[in-house]
Amino acid sequence: MVHADRPEQVLLVDDNATNLQVLYQTLSGRGYRLLVARNGRQALEIAQKSEPALILLDIMMPDIDGFETCRRLKQDPRTRGSAVIFLSALDDTGNKVKGMQLGAVDYIAKPFDPDEVIVRVEIHLKIHRLEAQLARRNRQLEADNQHILAAMNEGIFGLDIDGTVVFVNPAAVCMTGCSEQELLGRPVHALGLFGGFGACVQAHPFYSCLKEGRICHNEDGELTRRDGTRFAVEYNCSPIFEDRTLSGAVVVFKDISERKQAERQLKRAYTELEKAHRELRDAQMRLIQAAKLESVGRLAAGVAHEVKNPLAVIQLGVDFLAGVESDDGVVSEVIRDMEEAVERADSVVKGLLDFSRESTLTLRPGDINQVIDHALHLVDHELIQHNIRLEKQLDEGIGIIDLDSNKLQQVFINVFMNAIQAMGRDGVLTVKSRVERIENPDRAGLDRERFSAGEPVVQVEVLDTGCGIAEESMVFDPFYTTKPTGQGTGLGLSVTRKIIDLHKGMIDIRNREEGGAAVRITLKMG
Amino acid sequence: MTQKKKILVVDDEVMMTRMLKRSLEATGNYEVQELNHGARALEACRTFMPDLVLLDVMMPDMDGGEVAAALSEDSELNAVKIVFLTAIVTKDEVPPTGADISGRTFLAKPVKTADLVACIEAQLNRQAF
Repeated sequence: MVHADRPEQVLLVDDNATNLQVLYQTLSGRGYRLLVARNGRQALEIAQKSEPALILLDIMMPDIDGFETCRRLKQDPRTRGSAVIFLSALDDTGNKVKGMQLGAVDYIAKPFDPDEVIVRVEIHLKIHRLEAQLARRNRQLEADNQHILAAMNEGIFGLDIDGTVVFVNPAAVCMTGCSEQELLGRPVHALGLFGGFGACVQAHPFYSCLKEGRICHNEDGELTRRDGTRFAVEYNCSPIFEDRTLSGAVVVFKDISERKQAERQLKRAYTELEKAHRELRDAQMRLIQAAKLESVGRLAAGVAHEVKNPLAVIQLGVDFLAGVESDDGVVSEVIRDMEEAVERADSVVKGLLDFSRESTLTLRPGDINQVIDHALHLVDHELIQHNIRLEKQLDEGIGIIDLDSNKLQQVFINVFMNAIQAMGRDGVLTVKSRVERIENPDRAGLDRERFSAGEPVVQVEVLDTGCGIAEESMVFDPFYTTKPTGQGTGLGLSVTRKIIDLHKGMIDIRNREEGGAAVRITLKMG
Repeated sequence: MTQKKKILVVDDEVMMTRMLKRSLEATGNYEVQELNHGARALEACRTFMPDLVLLDVMMPDMDGGEVAAALSEDSELNAVKIVFLTAIVTKDEVPPTGADISGRTFLAKPVKTADLVACIEAQLNRQAF
């Protein structure tokens, strides 16, 4: 067997020239490169220089004998790899054992049989070759391992059975912020990296792995760096078994803070999206509701008008006929029935109108700020559409007063809508509520018949930055409107005033010095 | 015998003005003129010189509010009393014999003849002071 690149070298060592000659002839021509030495010293020199695969070494030599030569060969790292076979006439067990103890691999007795020498040399060369290959492969594997471990983004700890760190890779050093020296040789639980700070071994997440051989996995762990900062990690602690005996564990951990952050962002985005969706749905519902009410209201008003006119004619006709002299009892009965029928028809129409506008005042204890908030909620869409900023200064200490919340809500909607329409686009709508004690009703511009000095009242002010009003006395007139024909009857503010009157309150409007209008609503507290 | 009070009835529905004229004149106390166009109300008032105008609110050419405003701006006609007879208010908002809403008198349709007369009389008497 010959190595492809380089012939294997065999060193022959004997002080006897004849013996050397015979050995040389036996082994020559077989593809090895044969080296010869005549004594121990020469053998050591050649071995150091050429690193032969195999050395056939005579024991009985002057100066340095074979045993000593072998001992020195095995001591020297450069020559330690060469396999030694002793050759000697001394064919006793004691010498064989001594030779083997010194690191020799075989023993050939002189006089030797050439075939035996050849076979033994071949065998040992083969063993040597395989060993060299194995060593090479081991080195390669080791190097590959190192490369892989160094290249890995995951941090790796090797732990012995006591939890002592016996191995770390560069990523582990980098991620923990500890040097290799600080990590190696220390019990992992004492490092406080994966929680379980301090010396409590049992509390440490790797304890069950090292004690019971169970894989410990945590997708949602945390790693505390040497400087105390923390980040999210996913880690795995797997037991290592040697011959079915638990011998330690390998901890692999991965920085997942980016993933966690992405997850958080995703969650936040989802929440925002959900909120936006909810708002959109609410707005849509409000729009539908408003549109429904508006169309029902418009329909009711239209029907009412159309039906009430003929009803009025019938009513007047019935009254007229009732006044005509008649002795016939049946006629007056017919007239009574017709009168009743008109009344019924009228009440049906009224019911239809009631659907869109409540027409009786129902006073109940209520929170004026809540009424304002509800009304604002209903004009929310308009505010956004007209790019109007809302400034709310509601006094939370007003408490409960008697009010008709539906009616007052209508009042505020009317006032807000008027303000919004007066502003057109862009502006500020300010809504204030507060408790005020009237010192002098006249000076406060309040009706002396309704309010007395020293009386506490609730005042709501609605300020806009719109075009203001032309004539302060006119706005509450039933047909005063600034809206184009068909967009408003002008009855809004007069209905508003009617409702406030029913509450025994007051509503007044003035132009603000800084522009826009201010509507003030004053309500009694009790 | 006192002189009959003159009432101008303005409503876009012919049937309505005809019925009102008939009912009011049947009392024997009023002289009634009908008008079916709001826009001609001012002109009619100048020639007829009514004591009171019974005015519909929602009319196609010129609504009751506009007619009332025009009358109050006219120096010769601003003393003429106005009663709105309308379907836009309901009986809950307005009592049977009418109500003042911000200085205007409103009657809700349909109205009984007796209530109508009571309201008209109240207005005419107020004027007498």
